[in-house]
Amino acid sequence: MNWGGFGTVDGWLAIIGLAIGTFAIRYSFIGLLAGKKLPPRFERALQLAVPAIFAALVVPLILFQGNQLNLTMRWPHAVAAIITGIYAWWRGGMLLSLVIGMASLHALLWFFA
Amino acid sequence: MSNAADQASSRASFKAGVIECLQLIPSYIPFGLVCGVAAMQAGLGEWGAVAIAAFAFAGSSQAVLTQFLSSGAPLTIAILSGLVVNLRMAVYSAAIAPRIAGATPKERVLWAAFLVDQTFISNEARHQRGEHMNHPLAFYLGCALTLWPWWVLMNAIGAFAGAKLPASWQLDFTIPLSFVAMVVPLLKSRSQILAAIAGGAAGVLLYAMPLKLGLIAACALGTCVGMTVDALLKLKTSEATR
Repeated sequence: MNWGGFGTVDGWLAIIGLAIGTFAIRYSFIGLLAGKKLPPRFERALQLAVPAIFAALVVPLILFQGNQLNLTMRWPHAVAAIITGIYAWWRGGMLLSLVIGMASLHALLWFFA
Repeated sequence: MSNAADQASSRASFKAGVIECLQLIPSYIPFGLVCGVAAMQAGLGEWGAVAIAAFAFAGSSQAVLTQFLSSGAPLTIAILSGLVVNLRMAVYSAAIAPRIAGATPKERVLWAAFLVDQTFISNEARHQRGEHMNHPLAFYLGCALTLWPWWVLMNAIGAFAGAKLPASWQLDFTIPLSFVAMVVPLLKSRSQILAAIAGGAAGVLLYAMPLKLGLIAACALGTCVGMTVDALLKLKTSEATR
């Protein structure tokens, strides 16, 4: 039976640092702004920042192999992501969108293997 | 509303949150396992792997931090890089703040504690559907208390069993797919679409920036592009009406 170990001191410092820092980031504006009315320009900027940040997060996850852009390997992923996006926009529904996306990825990989 | 009816509707909101986020559970499996394995390699030990999943609850920052630790980077750089990856949550925090105007200080701590990509976007989507009027926190907690224990469990299995799914299944691809499926339906205006395109392009081009700063730079750039498009569109309509 593996009861598990506790790792290094540096490891625990890293855990504490990440946990406290991340909570501070999460609480930042919730704590500062809750109940206050935001200027409309700021609110608009946030509406634009959300799609921008998700795209910046997602596109490398789709197109990168390891730490590099690799379109020869990843184009089926790009196509599958576009199909998923179209379906989600048209119908919505997370589970079915995921199933359709993964099915198209494997169909493409199988067909063009 | 009577007390009993209010309680029933609170329970219904919680259940709606659970159902919404149960659909995201498959996407947590591969990434959670990978993060658990990576935490072991970084020397956190099994319980360290569980603790970082439970208390940070932020996969990409966990991956970055453990990767830096494994490669022998200084502790401060590893922590800082992980935190920069999570800076995007400040944007979520600002975006969610006006939605929870009536929250008590204790409730605000709960909102903050579980603020991740998935809980944030689920909440935004609900807001856009106009179902946010009653019990926003109950819905949010339904979401969070579905995802959080599952995330910790997957990390634990990765750490204790060293379990990995076969790479050929490509199940890690469900993470970007779930983001696509969540965010695309929320794009309502041309400025938002162009902000996303600019953010995505910048995310690729700036990927190699030190300390993982590319993500936040890409967000700023995409926002600026969106604001510019907004201004141009306004100019065009004001010219048309003149």
